[in-house]
Amino acid sequence: MAEEYTFKNPEIVEISTDILIIGGGMAACGAAFEAPRWAPPGTKIILVDKAAVDRSGAVAQGLSAINTYIGKDNTPEDYVRMVHADLMGITRDDLVYDVGRHVDDSVYLFEEWGLPIWKDKGSEGVALKDGGKPVRSGRWQIMINGESYKTIVAEAAKKALGIRNIFEHVFIVKLLLDKNEPNRLAGAIGVSVRDYKVYVFKCNAALLVAGGAVNVFRPRSLGEGMGRTWYPVWNAGSTYAMAVEAGAEMTMMENRFVPARFKDGYGPVGAWFLLFKSKATNGFGEDYVKKNANLLAEFAPYDKAATVPTCLRNHAMLKEMKEGRGPILMDTPSAMKALAEKMTPKEVKHLEAEAWEDFLDMCIGQAAFWAGMNIRPEETPSELMPTEPYLLGSHSGCCGIWVSGPEDLNSPAEWKWGYNRMTTVKGLFSAGDGVGASGHKFSSGSHTEGRIAAKNMVRFVGDNKSFKPEFKQDLKAIIEEIYRPVRNYHEHKDKTTAEDVNPFYILPKMFQMRLQKAMDEYVAGVSTFYQTNGILLKQGLHLLNMLKEDSVNMRAKDLHELLRAWENYHRLRTAEVHLRHIMFREETRYPGFFYRADFPKLDEANWHCFVNSRMDPDTGEWTLMKKPWVGLVEHTTMKKAAE
Amino acid sequence: MPTFVWTDKCDGCKGGEVAACMYICPHDLMKLDVARMKAYNQEPEQCWECQCCVKACPRQAIEVRPGADFVPMGGAVIPLRTDNAILWTIKFRDGEVKRFKFPVRTTPVGSIDPYGNKPAAGNLKDQLLFTEAGKSLPTI
Ligand SMILES: Cc1cc2nc3c(=O)[nH]c(=O)nc-3n(C[C@H](O)[C@H](O)[C@H](O)COP(=O)(O)OP(=O)(O)OC[C@H]3O[C@@H](n4cnc5c(N)ncnc54)[C@H](O)[C@@H]3O)c2cc1C
Ligand code: SF4
Ligand code: SF4
Repeated sequence: MAEEYTFKNPEIVEISTDILIIGGGMAACGAAFEAPRWAPPGTKIILVDKAAVDRSGAVAQGLSAINTYIGKDNTPEDYVRMVHADLMGITRDDLVYDVGRHVDDSVYLFEEWGLPIWKDKGSEGVALKDGGKPVRSGRWQIMINGESYKTIVAEAAKKALGIRNIFEHVFIVKLLLDKNEPNRLAGAIGVSVRDYKVYVFKCNAALLVAGGAVNVFRPRSLGEGMGRTWYPVWNAGSTYAMAVEAGAEMTMMENRFVPARFKDGYGPVGAWFLLFKSKATNGFGEDYVKKNANLLAEFAPYDKAATVPTCLRNHAMLKEMKEGRGPILMDTPSAMKALAEKMTPKEVKHLEAEAWEDFLDMCIGQAAFWAGMNIRPEETPSELMPTEPYLLGSHSGCCGIWVSGPEDLNSPAEWKWGYNRMTTVKGLFSAGDGVGASGHKFSSGSHTEGRIAAKNMVRFVGDNKSFKPEFKQDLKAIIEEIYRPVRNYHEHKDKTTAEDVNPFYILPKMFQMRLQKAMDEYVAGVSTFYQTNGILLKQGLHLLNMLKEDSVNMRAKDLHELLRAWENYHRLRTAEVHLRHIMFREETRYPGFFYRADFPKLDEANWHCFVNSRMDPDTGEWTLMKKPWVGLVEHTTMKKAAE
Repeated sequence: MPTFVWTDKCDGCKGGEVAACMYICPHDLMKLDVARMKAYNQEPEQCWECQCCVKACPRQAIEVRPGADFVPMGGAVIPLRTDNAILWTIKFRDGEVKRFKFPVRTTPVGSIDPYGNKPAAGNLKDQLLFTEAGKSLPTI
């Protein structure tokens, strides 16, 4: 009887499954589509999302482009070269190539399911898979009417898996390890955000695809605008935090993404640069990337990549800002004027609609900002601004979990020790934002990677049929730990006259602000122009350690606050691994994203390698290590470096 | 930049099992005040302005008001979504109104048949996804 259970005394629901999918975003939906097809009859596959699959994750409000489509004009090798150069030379060619050779298949599915994809004149109505030519907004990007992108992908996933196998509004808090086999996943535990239930899942294999990390750093807007982040405010680093706590090896967690976007609204600039050929300048009309070519040459050979890497463009922009030559402006009026000279008024009108659609499909807040500011792009240029840092592995960043790659490529043996996309924890897989050292997957590549992982999970489960999961940790103690914020609240709330200020507990919201302040000031956030050094990092770690001690004192006055408490705990763990990696890598690999001011140069001789880390789940001790980088295709940047 | 709910338009989704806005918000922000049968945003400064709740509300009771900490007052962006198109109304601070309509889907909602015309699963040990049956995959 549901009535028996209360906020203080939740029901414990235990569920056994063969495969558990944690998350409901692009990668999860790809896995939900692929896995049932390979699985023998009777295989149980469950998906758990903290929100509603129709509108969860980074694609919730839609997208205006699919950013990874190889098509007829490119090869997977070209794609590998682009990703390598944009991420300053340290990516896993095997993982990137694998996405590149499969990704178009997912795009064909999206179109078949009903996603409107723009076509070039002459091939309207012809599907991509039948040779239809997409409208490219860049070499890799194709334009879509993507408002319903996520609902479409979700519909296919839900039908493939069956509604009864989908648990929505359940937040996974921890992965659980096996009692008998060391370093072996046995399940996961989470809380319902809707009723008084704790879910304990036992599984043979799990896919951890809970997205990237947002609001780890203090955002630029601190009032109502706090939630108007560029990456989705609700992705709280659960992927990285839970992987770390399970003892998975992490890679490139020093990497972060600081996109330069329209100021405050954080609307996309890609279409303005690529489709409308708009130029960005400093406050005095100078092209800052050209002007600072010498500065960028210090980061050779990457400055000579076909497209100047994203972080280097930021580096040039930051120099102008720091030296007082702001604001940075996107000259939309000149771009619109230039296009209007070649077009009929009707075509111009169409173009204007496209410019607005770019916002309305994936960043409605930017349209609201322009409306409130009376900004019309044909009349008024718009300010650009680098955002607060985000951690992600699928967009233009590459932090994440170290995984085994495909076995059929010319990669070193250490890159294919297990099943494709399996982490160093047996039975734990990842994809999308979760898999490190392989950025630029975007929506289509994340879906694809989820599918790759799914097939390999089915294979893994078949090979490990006799596995009987038994939890190593004491379940009762974990449940107690998960509900501790609730206990804290009830025990202490009446001791003060206003329950929000109480010496016995900390509000999840204040916990988040403490984290954000520490990360901003010590770990290269916006207030220091993304600078840090070894001494600052040491102090930052000290602050995070005290915050970790205080995490047991968070309070939860309702289920919503319990969700926030655990999200913010995940943010803290993510912050810690990010900090430790930055501390370990003694060079400046990603200027424009962050600077080690005590090691301001790129150091190819010593640091052209992966940085991996592992926290021992039993002792909490950290090991950081270098892992050699190997190129599997010929990289023009690397050839130049050798010359 | 938070959502707000018009008092006279919201009917609390008629007291059904779930309120549409509460179900769909990816960040668990919309909450139903059961005593009043009215929904509200319980943590306005956490709102992503994704308008998922706005699009889902059967009574068009929700709107997003641009963030008071950096947007001058008076602007608004309001969607009206059907199964195959979305109509946007953009109101500028100075009163100008722009309208745009875009397609959102080329197939009827609910019509996806994930495995309908698709090949059966092939060899579990090779690198092909099931829809790639018969394809020869490139390698390096
Ligand atoms: C503003 C913006 C613009 C973008 N532009 C483009 C573009 O133009 N083209 C393009 O191709 N890509 C674009 N992307 C990138 C694309 O959206 C991502 O690459 C992709 O969504 C990543 O997929 P994922 O499955 O790893 O994560 P997500 O899709 O974010 O999914 C994460 C899932 O995990 C769930 N979750 C999180 N924590 C937990 C937990 N603890 N327990 C249970 N569930 C949890 C979430 O609810 C969600 O369902 C953009 C993204 C954003 C935000
Ligand atoms: S969906 Fe609309 S009508 Fe229903 S509770 Fe929410 S605001 Fe009210
Ligand atoms: S706009 Fe988005 S984030 Fe804000 S309340 Fe609605 S669904 Fe939630």
